[in-house]
Amino acid sequence: MTRRAARLPFALIALASLAPLVAAAPAAAQQEDFEGVSLGLVYENAYVPALGIQQFSGRLGGDAIASEVQAIVARDLEYSDRFAILDDLPINVTADQVDYSLWDGLNATWVVKGRIEGAGTNEFVLVLELHDVLYRRIEQTGRFPLPNHQTDNAAFRMAVHRASDQVVEWVFDEPGMAASRITFSMRRNDGTKEVYIVDSDGENLTRLTSHANLTASPVWSPDNTRIAYMTYDDDGQRIYERNLATGETKRIGAIRDGNYMTPTYFPDGDNMVFSVHTGARSGLFTYDAERECCLTNLTESPADDFSPTISPDGRWMAFNSTRLGSGIPQVYVMEARAGARPELLSPYQYGQSSFFSAPDWSPDGENIAFSGRYQRSGRYHILVAKMGEGRRLQQLTFEGNNEAPSWAPDGRHIVFTGEHRWGKGLFVVDSASGTIRPILTGVDVADPDWSGGM
Amino acid sequence: MIHRRLMVPAVAALMVLAAACGSDPEPEEIVPTGRSPQEIADSIRADSLARAEQARLDSIAAAERAAAAERAEMEQRMARARETLTQTIYFDYDEAAITTQAEQRLRAKLDILRNSPAVRIRIEGHADERGTNEYNIALGNRRAESVRQFLTGFGIDENRISIVSYGEDQPAMMGSTETAWRQNRRAEFVITAGADQINPGM
Repeated sequence: MTRRAARLPFALIALASLAPLVAAAPAAAQQEDFEGVSLGLVYENAYVPALGIQQFSGRLGGDAIASEVQAIVARDLEYSDRFAILDDLPINVTADQVDYSLWDGLNATWVVKGRIEGAGTNEFVLVLELHDVLYRRIEQTGRFPLPNHQTDNAAFRMAVHRASDQVVEWVFDEPGMAASRITFSMRRNDGTKEVYIVDSDGENLTRLTSHANLTASPVWSPDNTRIAYMTYDDDGQRIYERNLATGETKRIGAIRDGNYMTPTYFPDGDNMVFSVHTGARSGLFTYDAERECCLTNLTESPADDFSPTISPDGRWMAFNSTRLGSGIPQVYVMEARAGARPELLSPYQYGQSSFFSAPDWSPDGENIAFSGRYQRSGRYHILVAKMGEGRRLQQLTFEGNNEAPSWAPDGRHIVFTGEHRWGKGLFVVDSASGTIRPILTGVDVADPDWSGGM
Repeated sequence: MIHRRLMVPAVAALMVLAAACGSDPEPEEIVPTGRSPQEIADSIRADSLARAEQARLDSIAAAERAAAAERAEMEQRMARARETLTQTIYFDYDEAAITTQAEQRLRAKLDILRNSPAVRIRIEGHADERGTNEYNIALGNRRAESVRQFLTGFGIDENRISIVSYGEDQPAMMGSTETAWRQNRRAEFVITAGADQINPGM
C-alpha cells in the first residue's frame, strides 16, 4: 500500500509587478502566461513528512558496514527533498524493535530501519523496513543485495542508492533520483576538457574520455549504456559515442561537410538529433546511429539551430535558435518531424536582448527547463516552463549565474552549472521546494546531463 | 684593369716555361737570383691564381651579401604578410557581424590571399564566457563563418578556408572583466598550407 502526501498548492512568492495578475481570476492569469511574457515564482507548499532513521544494525559481519550504509541512505533521503530527516539523534534508539511512542513524540511520520546481513565474502544484503509511526506497523520491507564494497565501491553505493529510491517510491509512489549519475565536461589543468561522470550525490567522480582535447555536450543514451558528445578531430567538430560497458568509442555521422555539435537521443536510443553548421546555414538533423544512415533534416535556417531536447514520447523537440536575429538565442518547441513549424517558448520581448538557451525536457514530459537572462546586463538563471499549465514560467535560481539545466529521473530535481557564493561548479535545485545544494565545487564544468534511473 | 696587369707577366712566364720544356735540351744558364726560371714562373703563376681566386671569392661574397639582403627583406615582408594574415579580429557582444575595424584587417588579408593561391587558412571562432557553453560554440562557428563569407565574397575560393569554433574554451585572456571579454570575442587565423609560399605582393 502506498500513500500520497497531501499537497496544498498556493502561491508562495510572486514578482511585485505580477501581483495583480496572480490575484486575478486563474483564467486571466493563464492567458497572460501563455503569451510567454510573465513570470510566476510559485512553489507548491508540499507536505514534508518527518522521517526517522533508526540506527542500522548488522548480522554475520554486516555490522562492519552498517553505519556506512545508514549514512548513504540518510543523505539520499535528505537529498530527495521530500522528508524532514531525523537522523543521528542524541538518544539511544539502537533497540531492534521500533519504539513507535518515542518516534511519535519526535513527530516522525515514518521510520526507516536497516539491517545488513552477511551473504558470503564481502557481500551483503540490506534489509530495509519502512515503519508507519501513526499506525504502528511495518508499511513495506525490501531486500537489496549489495556487491563487494571493497572491490567495486561504485556498484556498492549504487545498490544502496536503489534502496533509498525504493523508500521514496514506497511513500510517494514516485521515482527517486539517488540511483543515477550525471555526465558533464570538465576543464583539466592543461586546459583540455574531458567528459566526466559523477554520482547524483557528488561521489565517485570518474573521467570517461582521454581525447587530450576539448569535449562538450555529453548526453546519456536513454538506457544509460552510452554517452554521446562532441569533440574535435582533423575534420573539425564531430560527434562521438562511447559505449560504457565495452569502452568502445566511435565517430557518428560524418557524412556531410560542416561542424557538428550538441547531440541528443530519441527515446528509442537508436536515433539521434544533432546540429550541423554547413556554410552559412545551420540545422538540426536526425540520424540513425544504429544503422548508420538516414541523415534527415528537421530544421534549417540561416541562423543557428542547436541544443535539441526530445520529449519522452518522442513526438516533440525543443531547441535553441538565433532565428529571431541579433545573434541572441531563444527556445523553440516543434513537432519532431521535418517541416513542422517551430513555436517560440522563451519569454522573448522585442528590444530587450533577452537570452534563453539550453532547453531540457523533463522525464515526465510536463516541463521544459532552460537558462537565460531577461536583459542584456542581467544574470543567468534557471527557468522552467510548465507545459501542462499554459507554459507558466517558474524561476528557480536568484543569485549568481546559473546555466545548462538537466532534469533528474525523478522529474523534480535539476542539475546546472553555477557561479555562487559556494564557488563555481555543479549544483542541484529541487524545483518543488527551491532548495539548492552544490554537489561539485571549485571546478570548471559545462553541459551537465542527468542519466535516467539506474 | 687588375686582370690586364696580371696577364702580362703570366704570359711571359708561360713562354719561359714553354722554352724550358722544349724537346731539345739547351745549355744550362746561371740565373743570378738563385731561383730557376721554373721557380720564378711557378711563383708568378701561383700569385696570379691566388689573386684570381680571391677575386672570385670576393665576387661570390658580394653576390651572397646581396642575395642575403634580398632574402632577409623578403623574409621580413613574408613575416609581415603572415602577421597580417593571422592577425586576430574582434567582435561585438553576442554578435557575428564584421565590424569596421575588423573589415580593415580582413581587406589586408584579402590582398595576401589573392596573391598567394597556395595558402590555405583555418578560421577559429571564439566567444567570451557569458552564455552557455553550447551557445558559445554555435556563436564561434557563426563568427568564423561570417569571416569566411567576407573573404569568399571577394573571390577567395571557399575550399581554401576551413572553420572551427572553440566557443568559450580557449580564452585569450582569463578573467570575468569587460577587458577580458573584449579580447575573447574573436576570430583567429591559422595558416594550414603554403606558409612558405606566401607572396607578400609589391
